[in-house]
Amino acid sequence: MSGAAAFGHDPTDYNAMPEAAFRQVVRRFLAENYPPALRHPQKRLHFRDSRPWYMILARKGWLAPGWPREHGGLGLSAGRQIALIEEYERHGCARSNDMGIVMIGPLLIRYGTPEQRARFLPAILSGEHIWCQGYSEPDAGSDLAALRTHAMREGDHYIVNGQKIWTTLGNDANWMFCLVRTDRQAKKQDGISFLLIDMTAPGVRVRPIVNLDMHDEFCEVFFDNVRVPAANLVGEPNKGWAMAKALLGFERIFLGSPKQSAYALERLGLLAERMGLAEDAAFQDRYAQLRLDLADLRALYERFAEQLRQGQELGPEVSMLKIWQSELFQRITETMLEIGGENAALAGPMEGDRDLNISGLFINARPTSIYGGTNEIQRTILAKNVLKLPG
Amino acid sequence: MNSSEDSAEAIRMLRESAAAIVPPGGDLGRVRALRFKEPGYDPAMWRRMAALGWFALRLPEAQGGAGLGVAALAALAEELGRGLVPEPLVAGAILPAALIAAADEPGRAAALLPALLSGARTHAFAWQEAAASLDIARADTIAEARPGGGARLAGRKLFVPQAAGVDAFLVTAREAEGISLWLVPREAAGVALATETMIDGGNTGTLALDGVVLGAEARILAPARAPALLARTLDEAVIATAAALLGLMDRAFAITLDYLRTRTQFGKPIGSFQALQHRAADLLVQIELGRAAIGQAARLADDPAIPAPARAAAASQAKARASDAALLVTRQAVQMHGAIGYTDEHDIGLFLRRAMVLSARYGNAALHRRRHAALAPAIDTEE
Repeated sequence: MSGAAAFGHDPTDYNAMPEAAFRQVVRRFLAENYPPALRHPQKRLHFRDSRPWYMILARKGWLAPGWPREHGGLGLSAGRQIALIEEYERHGCARSNDMGIVMIGPLLIRYGTPEQRARFLPAILSGEHIWCQGYSEPDAGSDLAALRTHAMREGDHYIVNGQKIWTTLGNDANWMFCLVRTDRQAKKQDGISFLLIDMTAPGVRVRPIVNLDMHDEFCEVFFDNVRVPAANLVGEPNKGWAMAKALLGFERIFLGSPKQSAYALERLGLLAERMGLAEDAAFQDRYAQLRLDLADLRALYERFAEQLRQGQELGPEVSMLKIWQSELFQRITETMLEIGGENAALAGPMEGDRDLNISGLFINARPTSIYGGTNEIQRTILAKNVLKLPG
Repeated sequence: MNSSEDSAEAIRMLRESAAAIVPPGGDLGRVRALRFKEPGYDPAMWRRMAALGWFALRLPEAQGGAGLGVAALAALAEELGRGLVPEPLVAGAILPAALIAAADEPGRAAALLPALLSGARTHAFAWQEAAASLDIARADTIAEARPGGGARLAGRKLFVPQAAGVDAFLVTAREAEGISLWLVPREAAGVALATETMIDGGNTGTLALDGVVLGAEARILAPARAPALLARTLDEAVIATAAALLGLMDRAFAITLDYLRTRTQFGKPIGSFQALQHRAADLLVQIELGRAAIGQAARLADDPAIPAPARAAAASQAKARASDAALLVTRQAVQMHGAIGYTDEHDIGLFLRRAMVLSARYGNAALHRRRHAALAPAIDTEE
């Protein structure tokens, strides 16, 4: 079957519609089409589970809201994309394997050759290619530019050797976009290239890693003399770093989305009722404080969202959003530990309350200050790039 | 009993014998392998601990015990906490041994203790009926007197640690004169035990008593002596659990310091970054506050001249600090390890999980802060 037949087009110009009307369209679509069993998943879903949702979006022509129309996208403005994602979050939609749509698609549209676009973009839209991101390595985490996975040019191919780690849903993917070192002499950022690797090629080995939530959400990926056609290099050799950085676009706002904190705060309120603390003065004071912390987060988020709606790009200031959201989420779950007593140490939900899994939320809040650039790195960004402090 | 030198020597020897079971820096493969299946610990190790005499640590020499104090118990609990030992020394042996040894009928103690102290039969103190509670008097379980002695027990007990391996429960129940303590064999008619998995891979039990018929000999403590004895014994468990948290956070911190010294990013060890240095220094302060509070609580618990409210307040002070500090240290340990800290493969997460369980057991920090505040007026008048 050709991939092109599997995805649809929606000709409606949603940018021309008032935002409220657009949100109504999205809500109706979700009410009628979103698989109820996938609402509010407690863990990041694997593709085998989220595939129905991915394919519903593909058939509707909504899979790639930000891509231009000519490449099969919806061509939505940044403001409309934010509204769309907010509606998805409101409905409790699962995040599918979206690396192809959010990361490599836009990169190929901007830097890829016509051949690369023709080959890869339709395969993303049809669900044939599922992508993962190969950036971090065991010795290159916060210091990503220290990466060592090596690609040596040999005729029409690159020979890739090395190792990636923290590859989210790498066990679902059949393609990886990868930062590799192509020049070992050059200074750090200057010898890095952007390579597209077929995960089914000989020499690629994927090892899932179980996280503290006992979920195999990320992987190690090993490359042992993997032959990659030179045609899979994106952009110029040794210019991969700049492209990868340019890719860190407006999506960074979503690391600061209030949705996790909002969900946790709602659970905290429910827990307080269950524990008979809803009228407790000390609890009410804590809860009021957290509520205002969340209200301020929403206000700050709205300020950045408005920037995007005005067509501006996000600056380094957006790091503050990520810091505040992740640490608020953590504070809320710590308060749940405090009032839940022994219930907070159960591996599963509380007795009689299937949706009240305190330890699950607490554990899930842990990595939010680690992924997407640790909060230590975010603070350094604020100190250096916003406050211009020396060092 | 012992002079302070003797006691210090006993504590040193206890720590050494603990090292045989939890070698310092030893690998946690055994702990890992016992997680998420019942009974949640190794029965062979349990008997080995019994053979070391640990179960009788707090019993008087006349009852076959070592006659050691709470400070010794805290030292042992700290060492076992350091190794994340899943065998429930305090909940499954120390606490029930103390209660049975204090039985109203000395003959009952003599009859029941050998099986407990040898590890042949595991006991548990089942007193709790609500989450986040340390109030023994808050018992709706009823002991309805039967003609000719004995009683019918009906009620429900929650959060019995590592209950999957328990053979007999020491159950608090309300009768006309107040709270009494009953020995309920697991196999008795009307007893139903449901276990749930805890976040550290251990288990917790909910005990349902549906008209369990017991003879007069099953009453270990009558209302006349029960409340004061139960409260005091539970406070020793509070201090021992705080000490286990101390050992746990101490080792999690050491592992993290190693990582800060060896993990290199941006061309230098991450421990050279001042932000992480200051955080590590703050964690050190918390750990030492905990060590000091636990030492004080154990000292007061061992001093017969100290009035009960002051002893209890010191226990709460220790558990409040230890619970908060252990959660803080283990959370930050995960954070400072970065992504590797969020994997189940790395040991540091085991410390966070156990901290979640032990900080909640016998009252979390919030509960003990409230309890300390409630006891404080009584202490102030002593000073």
